Amino acid sequence: MIKFSNVSLIYPNSTTTVLENLNLEIAEGEMVLVIGPTGSGKSSLLRLINGLVPHHTGGILAGDVSVDGHSTQLVKPGAMAHLIGIVGQNPANGFVADTVEEELAFGMETLNLPPDVMRKRVEEVLDLLSLSPLRDRAIATLSGGEQQRVAIGSALVAHPKVLVLDEPTSALDPIAAEEVLSILHRLVHDLSLTVVIAEHKLERVIQFADRIVHINGVGMAQVGTPEEILMHSPIAPPIVHLARALGLKEIGVSVREMRRMTAEIREKDYVSTDAVHSHVGDPIIQVRNLSVTYDGKNALNSVSTTISSNEIVAIMGRNGAGKSSLLKSLAGISDLSSGAVVVSGTNPQNLHGKMRRTSIGFIPQEPSDLLYGQSVQIECEQADKDNQIPSGTTAQILQQLVPGISPTTHPRDLSEGQRLGLALSIVLSSNPAVLILDEPTRGLDYQAKKELTTILIEFARATNKCVVLATHDVELVAELATRVLFLADGDIVADGSTLDVLLSSPAFAPQVSKVMSPQPWLKVSDVVSAIEAHQ
Amino acid sequence: MKKLSLHPLTWWIWAIGLAIAVIRFDSTVFTIGCVGAVAVVVFANRDNAPWGKSFNWTLKVSAWILLVRTIIGVLIGVPIPGTTLFTLPILPLPSWMPGIRIGGSVTAERLTSALSEGILICAIIVIFGAAASLTSPHRLLRVLPVYIYEFGISIVIATSVLPQLVTSVSRIRQAQKLRGQSLRGFASWRRVAIPLLEESLARSLDLAAAMDSRGYGVSKKRSRYRPIKWRAADSAVVFSALIVMGLS
Repeated sequence: MIKFSNVSLIYPNSTTTVLENLNLEIAEGEMVLVIGPTGSGKSSLLRLINGLVPHHTGGILAGDVSVDGHSTQLVKPGAMAHLIGIVGQNPANGFVADTVEEELAFGMETLNLPPDVMRKRVEEVLDLLSLSPLRDRAIATLSGGEQQRVAIGSALVAHPKVLVLDEPTSALDPIAAEEVLSILHRLVHDLSLTVVIAEHKLERVIQFADRIVHINGVGMAQVGTPEEILMHSPIAPPIVHLARALGLKEIGVSVREMRRMTAEIREKDYVSTDAVHSHVGDPIIQVRNLSVTYDGKNALNSVSTTISSNEIVAIMGRNGAGKSSLLKSLAGISDLSSGAVVVSGTNPQNLHGKMRRTSIGFIPQEPSDLLYGQSVQIECEQADKDNQIPSGTTAQILQQLVPGISPTTHPRDLSEGQRLGLALSIVLSSNPAVLILDEPTRGLDYQAKKELTTILIEFARATNKCVVLATHDVELVAELATRVLFLADGDIVADGSTLDVLLSSPAFAPQVSKVMSPQPWLKVSDVVSAIEAHQ
Repeated sequence: MKKLSLHPLTWWIWAIGLAIAVIRFDSTVFTIGCVGAVAVVVFANRDNAPWGKSFNWTLKVSAWILLVRTIIGVLIGVPIPGTTLFTLPILPLPSWMPGIRIGGSVTAERLTSALSEGILICAIIVIFGAAASLTSPHRLLRVLPVYIYEFGISIVIATSVLPQLVTSVSRIRQAQKLRGQSLRGFASWRRVAIPLLEESLARSLDLAAAMDSRGYGVSKKRSRYRPIKWRAADSAVVFSALIVMGLS
């Protein structure tokens, strides 16, 4: 269906090739997963398929990409619209209409399909993706998962043979991600649709993939079955790390396979090591009966909690459960309807300038909102000046967090992980007591996530510091958090140690605990240390 | 009250009619009345969507323009004789710039002429801002003929990305506040402008790519899923503007 022959790609003003001599054939009805570190060219590979690269982005393409016999060199992306449906990284940016139904029809209108055909196909897709209850809704009012489904639907109405998706689950909570992926799985099996998908969170998609394309960032690419590629790849989901740590001969890519392979290990009698009660210091953040209202709707209903120093608190819950509202109230930037928030003895709404910097550090969902300098160096110097610290301090923190960033680079040209690192070092340079992060792992690869985990654990260890983060990333929470607050519809429905909260909810359980249940282990290191203690 | 669902071109034609009337009338009282009426129509009819909210910004921006325009009009320009309100020191200018002076006595006549010109400019901005906030840019795109493809794509991008900027501005300013930066003065806007510009560029490219890959502009003919019809209400709105225009 899709054929890459000797494809090399280089962008103008760039010294490295994105792809070098890639040969790849994807058969009809195959689901192919593209993996690689951030900035390695996954998106470029996807956009080569319908010719957006190079027709839309520029760049020099050698070799040939053809889909169903049509070479992308000869036809423009628009002429492939009936053949390829493409869903971008941020579907909200690609919507052309106001309501769900009109959005679904747009692609067919441009293809000049007769109205009766359109009606039929719209109904079909509404049913297929369970969108019927949403048909008249304004797209702007939909949740992330719903928007993702509309975007997939509007690609499917043209009856394409190939569906291309760039990080379809990165912004979704685990349940919404599950919904989207199972729909894709069904399309592949029922309609023999060819699906190409790029994703960082391998733990979510790996079980559905037939083959993997692994791009290593310097132009080379490997193609093979998930087992072949993941056996040696540095990019691997926790389940594979578990297999490696246990020294299994084969690796399994689904929980079911791994449970079969590890039955013996699970059944042994382990000395229940009492969970090491991590030291918790004095209270830093106090929230009392906090309610927040947006557009007449309650985002938080009378929430109360206390967060103490040395804690790393993960706030979890579905999209729209009130996570961001809670973070914004802690940071003092949203108006409270009732109740009170006290951070280090003061109301965060009254903090300004230097006082604010030294008490609360906040990393927003888009770390680039914080950045305005023309280069990394200017950003770092500005932070030094703001905080009246010796010049070079911020640059030094950055060097520790993410080594090897050239100081003359423009922040825009950094990779997702590097940009987060820069924002983080600017925030850390003022040495705040509380660090708040909103969805820090969107678009981060495993390596960057691991570094982030180390930094945050280090930060929370110091006296009178704590970290609060909102995230959908279950695996990150398992590695990082000491405590989990679970929000649903504006209420705290669970509050306890990471182990208790994650194990009690099957949807939010990390892979390792799913494999090792009923043993109370969340991460690979838990398993390893329990086995060592047993021997 | 149920909001009128009008043809996307209606409010634009209405705005053009009003703008012509305002210019031809050239009466400050009429202009202010017209702006008031437009504002009432917008607040009663706008959608609860990003473009609907953009009208507040149109008002703010035009108030700024009026202020700056008046100050400059009073400071610089040809002196108009009349009742002197107060006198400013005159800035000496080289001899090759005769007839222009900076400072000097400010007369009531000069002040009113500067004000009324400023009000006229602002009224035009407000009228077109009203049309933009009353019409969904997406619906506007759907009625534009395909053969103005490039133009169509730019219109959609301009009209759909600009209102979203309003949302982005408040988000970025919030983030800057969290970095402990002051939100006053020119420098604070420079700090907002850079992330804003980047984001809107990225957004525009995304939208253009999405439209391209869905085949926009490939077929010169385009079918309609639900044709947008011209109704009596549309004619009524357009007619009202034409009458005002005819009176002028």
